[in-house]
Amino acid sequence: MSTEISTTAQHADQGTGDAAQTGSSRARRDRKTDIEARAGGSTAPVRARRARATLLIGGLAAALVLVTVVSAGRGQLEISPGEVTGSVMHRLDSGLEWLLTRVGITVDLPLDIGSLPSHAQGENTLWLVRFPRVVLAILVGAALATAGALMQGIFGNPLAEPALIGVSPGAAVGASLVFVTGASFLGEWTAPAAAFTTGLFATLLVYALSRSGGRTEVVTLMLTGVAVTAVAFALVAFNTFVANPEAREQIVFWQLGSLNGARWPAVNAVLPFVCVGLVVAVVLARSLDLLSLGDKAARHLGVNVERLRIVAIVVVAMLVGSGVAFAGVIGFVGLVVPHLMRMVAGPGHRVLLPASALGGAVLLVGADLVARTAIQYADLPLGMLTALVGGPFFFWLLRRTRSRAGGWA
Amino acid sequence: MSRLLAPRRRRMPSRIGPGEAVAAVRGAGVVLGGAQILHDVSLDVRTSEVLALVGPNGAGKSTLLSVLTGDIRPEKGTAELCGRATHEWSAAESAMRRAVLLQQVNLSFPFTVVEVVAMGRAPWAGTERENDDEAAIAEAMAVADVGAFAERRFNTLSGGERARVALARVLAQRTQLVLLDEPTAALDLHHQEMVLAVARQRAAAGDAVVVVLHDLNLAAGYADRVAVLSRGALASVGSASEVLTSELLSDVYTHDVEVLKHPRGAAPIILPRR
Repeated sequence: MSTEISTTAQHADQGTGDAAQTGSSRARRDRKTDIEARAGGSTAPVRARRARATLLIGGLAAALVLVTVVSAGRGQLEISPGEVTGSVMHRLDSGLEWLLTRVGITVDLPLDIGSLPSHAQGENTLWLVRFPRVVLAILVGAALATAGALMQGIFGNPLAEPALIGVSPGAAVGASLVFVTGASFLGEWTAPAAAFTTGLFATLLVYALSRSGGRTEVVTLMLTGVAVTAVAFALVAFNTFVANPEAREQIVFWQLGSLNGARWPAVNAVLPFVCVGLVVAVVLARSLDLLSLGDKAARHLGVNVERLRIVAIVVVAMLVGSGVAFAGVIGFVGLVVPHLMRMVAGPGHRVLLPASALGGAVLLVGADLVARTAIQYADLPLGMLTALVGGPFFFWLLRRTRSRAGGWA
Repeated sequence: MSRLLAPRRRRMPSRIGPGEAVAAVRGAGVVLGGAQILHDVSLDVRTSEVLALVGPNGAGKSTLLSVLTGDIRPEKGTAELCGRATHEWSAAESAMRRAVLLQQVNLSFPFTVVEVVAMGRAPWAGTERENDDEAAIAEAMAVADVGAFAERRFNTLSGGERARVALARVLAQRTQLVLLDEPTAALDLHHQEMVLAVARQRAAAGDAVVVVLHDLNLAAGYADRVAVLSRGALASVGSASEVLTSELLSDVYTHDVEVLKHPRGAAPIILPRR
């Protein structure tokens, strides 16, 4: 390779007199950089980065298990972490044994370790109240943080947030409308279903309005998002104005965000959306990396930019829509978590997306734990807490990245 | 949605023999924002050849390059890539056939140099040529002389270093057609010569290289053919000695240009009269 360069270089420099010397020194340098690139330049740091990514994902998974066990045990009825684990293991044991019996294998699995909750209501508290709430927190946190990472990726802007394309304002319109009209054609599912539908509709509206000539410009998309958000807030304001006091209270509290009253049916409703969303997000990861070169360069590398953008936007709407449908508006998770993960794991989306999902889950389970235990007999609004902590933290992030060379970390 | 997500079969490229056209525009006319940017341009891009596009600012060099890349579909005339209309190839299929170095090189997230170069391998993911990834990346980094800062973050590099990283990414793509839009603009003298030596070497290996240049001496020294654009039309195409004449250049650039014979027989020296 390097000798070929030097010969062509010589050929081109022909007649300048010192061609032979230039050629040979260039060849030597090329060979040296070649060796550097092979030995020091690529393999060792790549391995180090992979180890770091594994460590991050593993650490977050462990933290999630820990915070889940702690959160499930805390509350008016205290259950020790050992008893929480014991209860889960007993259910796992009997569940697996039941499954194996169904396929014709009868065994006694040695999984029923640990002790069950000592309190008479312990099992019921755990399985009817705490676990559905914790699992919903995991799902909503993962959905919001992944949606944030996706948005930042497709907009090529670390400040992008799901709210920018109108998902949560749109969802608020649907929810407030249900509260005002008292509609109940889907029973207790009416408000979540309406929120999800209008959230998705608002997003598609933003996308359709900002498209022209088969292409979408990022700035146009953001500004259209601002316009649609303004109209959505006006509609919510109108609904709040005409609502009776009870409905008004519902609207206000929905916008503050809470996981209060979460039950298994809600978990079952959110689960498929979040799973599909997370899988598609990971499939898009490599294309999102390429998109950071800009639309044009990404297209030159084979990315169908328009298709990538619409798939990602629909996924974001699905993730955020299903999240806010049951939990209300919870801000800053989508903005702060991906930032934090990028600082540790670098900007590659193949690690960033799963790390954000785990990080978002940890954050929201923790925040919900604080929300329901910080003040006795009071359930603080979750959205208020995340914004209260997220705002100053984000400011600190901004200062920190600005003070370092090269900008965004 | 199902149509959007369904994987389509990609047609793999086959190598085109030396001296044959890998891309072509015929009678291409482009209007942007009401202004006629290109007018009736016909040009073949052949393998084993470095083709330089030169001309004054606003002559349509970058637009012609965009027609060749498929970014702009000409209103009049046709653009072809590997025997088919450029727009008939999917983005992924085009990416296996031509690599593009843009004038502006930006990155919205702080990837490292190695990661950026590795992005050039994306078109081959899932094909058997994926096995060449490591070799292609290492070779491209060596050729573009970026091995020394392989682990630095792209956004901490100087303009010239960024340009070379972008070049390495384009080289790592290993396509038979390489389109370079002003690759020497941010580079020092040594690296300017290096980039064009790389272009020559790719041509010697049977690839086709199109390079937009402002430095006429670089065009004269390295290009097999030079295309001079003037006010959206092709003023002349041919070897450097045929095309780069005092009369033509003085007319195109509306500035007196001298073309001198090199004392030791190398490419002609082109100087504006001062």
